[in-house]
Amino acid sequence: MRGRGAVSFVPWATVAWLFAVGIYGVITSRHYVHLIGCLTVIQSATYIALLSVGYRFGSVAPIFYTRPPSTPAVDPVLQALVLTDIVVGATVTALLLALTLQVHKKRGTVNPERLRPMRQ
Amino acid sequence: MTRKARLLVAVLCALVSAPAIAVVIMHIPAFGRHPLPYGDAINHTAGAQRHVTNMVSAVNFDYRAFDTLGEELMLVAAVTGTLVLLRGRRGESLSDRAAQAGNRPVCERSEAVTLACRFFLPLITTFGIYVILHAQLTPGGGFQGGAIVASGTLLLYLGESYRLWRRLVRSRLLDMLEAAGALVLVLCGLGPMARGGAFLQNVLQLGQTGALLSGGLILVENAGVALAVTAGFILLLLEFLEETRATCEGEGP
Repeated sequence: MRGRGAVSFVPWATVAWLFAVGIYGVITSRHYVHLIGCLTVIQSATYIALLSVGYRFGSVAPIFYTRPPSTPAVDPVLQALVLTDIVVGATVTALLLALTLQVHKKRGTVNPERLRPMRQ
Repeated sequence: MTRKARLLVAVLCALVSAPAIAVVIMHIPAFGRHPLPYGDAINHTAGAQRHVTNMVSAVNFDYRAFDTLGEELMLVAAVTGTLVLLRGRRGESLSDRAAQAGNRPVCERSEAVTLACRFFLPLITTFGIYVILHAQLTPGGGFQGGAIVASGTLLLYLGESYRLWRRLVRSRLLDMLEAAGALVLVLCGLGPMARGGAFLQNVLQLGQTGALLSGGLILVENAGVALAVTAGFILLLLEFLEETRATCEGEGP
């Protein structure tokens, strides 16, 4: 049990770091593809946060194909959340990239600073 | 907004939300040693109640199937949005190449690449189908397996030719398959109601724990999700590849 205090700090620190780096990237972005990449970094922070909340020391994955159901296991609810998070994240990223392509075609730039509101 | 203005707004927002963040950080539960009441409840009862061994699938396709339905419709909506944005600007005619970057020469496909792709395509497809079919037993399910199968089809383009990939990938059929996947999930919800049950209630025979045909309605919902994810991902790949390819003459913009 000794030394786990320091280890237990690492997942939360990773989450905070990924989130902060992603937000900074979004704020200072000068290219929409780069901005979408930063969004996925922020999303990775949520994966780690969810999996860390559901983790438990000394337990197995919540699959009982070869084990009795009384074996201590991590939380399957959070794993299901992360699973759906990843799949929807992938398709939403595709949608954002398609929007970027259209912006490039219509306005000739993908720099958020150069884009002005559309006029009628 | 300029870069400086954006940074300024961000710093102001960070300062305003700093106290709330500090409170949350002070109350984060100890990593790996806090109670997990819902997870434990599922882990201890789902096996006996639903005759499945993969608890993640039990949550996804049974206990919280309602959320999966919403998430599935979100996926279909995102794919549809992408298709609406990209389609219509491409022609339906077949081309040999996906994309050509300026005047860069196009290399011949090496035989080693073709061989590797012919070797791995059946393996990856089989593995994807295995992952889909064993959703209720071992790690896997329609989401993961669908993504594997869909990505595997790209090996056709890599190893054979863009024309072949394009000829095998029929967007009209995939449109229908994707919608059918979402429809299966909705019908799984409405079907039990017709028999007087609750929305998405697991009314089918549960089968024997550990068998391939076990879990009742979980199997059907998993198949619907697999269908929608596979078709949706292939459609996304198709539209993005079409987007990059040089248009032939007389094909419109």
